[in-house]
Amino acid sequence: MSGNSSTFRPASYREASARTLRDTPEVRDSVGSATRTFDALRTKAYAEVDSDRWRDWAQDVKAHALTHLDEYLEQAEQSLVANGAHVHWASSADDVHRLLEAIVVEHEVRTVVKAKSMLSEELEVNAHLDTLGVRSVETDLGEYIIQLLGEPPSHIVGPAIHRSLEDCRALFHEELGTPMDADPDELAAAARAALRGDFLAADLGISGGNFVAADTGTIALIENEGNIRLTTSVPRIHVALVGIEKIVPRFEDLAGFLQLTARAATGQPIGLFVSLIQGPRRADEVDGPEEVHVVFVDNGRTALYEDDTAWEALRCVRCGACLNICPVYRQTGGHAYGWTYSGPIGAIIAPGLLGLDRALPLPHASSLCGACVDVCPVRIPIPELLVHWRERTVEEGRNSVGERLAMRSYAELAERPSAFSTAGEALRWTPWRAVGKALPVLSGWMQEREAPTPSPKSFRDLWREGIE
Amino acid sequence: MSAREQILASIRAARERRAQVDHPGRFGAWRPEPAPSPLHGFETMFTQAGGEVVHVSSSAQRDTWLREFLSGFDELSLGVGVPAEVAGLGPTPVPHGSEHTAPAGVAVARAAVAETGSLMMDARDGRRAQLLPPILVVLVDATTVHATLADALGAVRADLPAAIGLHSGPSKSADIGQVMVKGVHGPGRVIAVVAQAGLGAYRHASERPSERE
Repeated sequence: MSGNSSTFRPASYREASARTLRDTPEVRDSVGSATRTFDALRTKAYAEVDSDRWRDWAQDVKAHALTHLDEYLEQAEQSLVANGAHVHWASSADDVHRLLEAIVVEHEVRTVVKAKSMLSEELEVNAHLDTLGVRSVETDLGEYIIQLLGEPPSHIVGPAIHRSLEDCRALFHEELGTPMDADPDELAAAARAALRGDFLAADLGISGGNFVAADTGTIALIENEGNIRLTTSVPRIHVALVGIEKIVPRFEDLAGFLQLTARAATGQPIGLFVSLIQGPRRADEVDGPEEVHVVFVDNGRTALYEDDTAWEALRCVRCGACLNICPVYRQTGGHAYGWTYSGPIGAIIAPGLLGLDRALPLPHASSLCGACVDVCPVRIPIPELLVHWRERTVEEGRNSVGERLAMRSYAELAERPSAFSTAGEALRWTPWRAVGKALPVLSGWMQEREAPTPSPKSFRDLWREGIE
Repeated sequence: MSAREQILASIRAARERRAQVDHPGRFGAWRPEPAPSPLHGFETMFTQAGGEVVHVSSSAQRDTWLREFLSGFDELSLGVGVPAEVAGLGPTPVPHGSEHTAPAGVAVARAAVAETGSLMMDARDGRRAQLLPPILVVLVDATTVHATLADALGAVRADLPAAIGLHSGPSKSADIGQVMVKGVHGPGRVIAVVAQAGLGAYRHASERPSERE
């Protein structure tokens, strides 16, 4: 199996989303159904608890951790080292690749089992392991499916939500020899059997990390299948790739974050399996990895941290609630966004992590309806941050020539009362049906809508006559 | 400059411009006292997630249940903390390292959590024994059930092993066409055998040295 990553191309968002809708309309059905289910479960799970208090608390803990981030990172490093783990720091994907290469060479690693990690997708770890001649096997069922298909994840919690049961039947028939009419239990059993051998044979397990508690040096991981527990327990070496923003100050803080993240993501009270990992196997333990490496990864996060507005996005716990409720994401799923993190959260962290030039036009992939901020468990002001990146786009002169021209013309007009009045008069007599369909932007709007009939009198005339 | 120094320097430079936010304190501190019976809460949450609960009020009752349940299997994997008298009730245990061949296993929970319906599994009991058998029986002492997750984490933080697992039901996934399936990688059936207070058989292995190798 080869790596499933491709070069990130958010710039092709418009073409990719159009292509998805035109060529694979069933994706919208699968994604729509899955996200509506996730969102309904989240709504119910929020209602069962005092979710407003929970979210205030989580926002404050994350804000506290981020405003003391250097201290807590150092504390986490000390705790982990005291527990016997190796701690590494990586500025870029290249740093991570070099580190993995050193571990692979030193321990003669042939097979790697992987627990679902969006950071590992972001760092294109599988493709790199492939170049080293190492076989990497995704063990989360959703990740396993997309790895077999050679696709990137379409959703940060359910990476294969764009694929239907029929797609999976065809895929497993070809790859694992299951019958074409196999039910989901049979398919899961076949995957389990295939992957069980990999777990037992692998020399190295690679995971991400949902949270790191600084005081005890604990890597916390949430899941439902048990594959993360196996990935971090069975192979001889465990490498945890963790973004520097994942720090929480105290071990007991995990009580809040484990529950809130599960409720926001899938509407569960907690993930069915949670791993709390302090370090390598100890003398009084019969199993567990002999070596644990924890890698604190920057890869653009400090650039995001340096932005006085956008840094709030670093509170994100990657629950996917904003994707599930987003009317734009629901149309296409994640592939159109062209990189690991899609939906509203992807659109506000992409400019920080990739640079604004590579991330455009993602901050525009939103109607600014604000549904995302209503569900975010750490209250990230996503619409404000989308607007922030749009403003930065204009400030840096990265918006289109057409947009700049239109805005400049409007400004000229608005500053001249007589010209403004004349233009208004002209617009009132314009045959909108014909003209609208010939203009960019407006033609798209008019595909589904009738243009309203303009008032026979201007607002200024009505005002002068004494408006009621 | 090393990656470490670079990262910390960037954070320190930007941090100067951030208004400091205080830690809001313990999660759930605003809540009223939890219900008096954490055991009932645990059972409700654990069974909702698909777990099964069996109550035993004497060692004889426990042994009878285990003997009958385990008689259906030809091999068994055992957690290190499983008491010797319980270990003898079932078929021949597989040696450590061969847990993947056993169709069922018995392990011991260090504690349980009512709020989330979780079993707290300690690495000292053996991680393979907790994860590899498709059917897992977990012995739980009723006196170790905590009302909240924060209580449970607070109770164990002074004595942390390499890893703790919180197991809150059987392994599940909806990744295949959004249809829920059980037993994907971890155990597909989990039965918590809760021993009533006073039975006291399930202390941690580290507290009962050389009882069983």
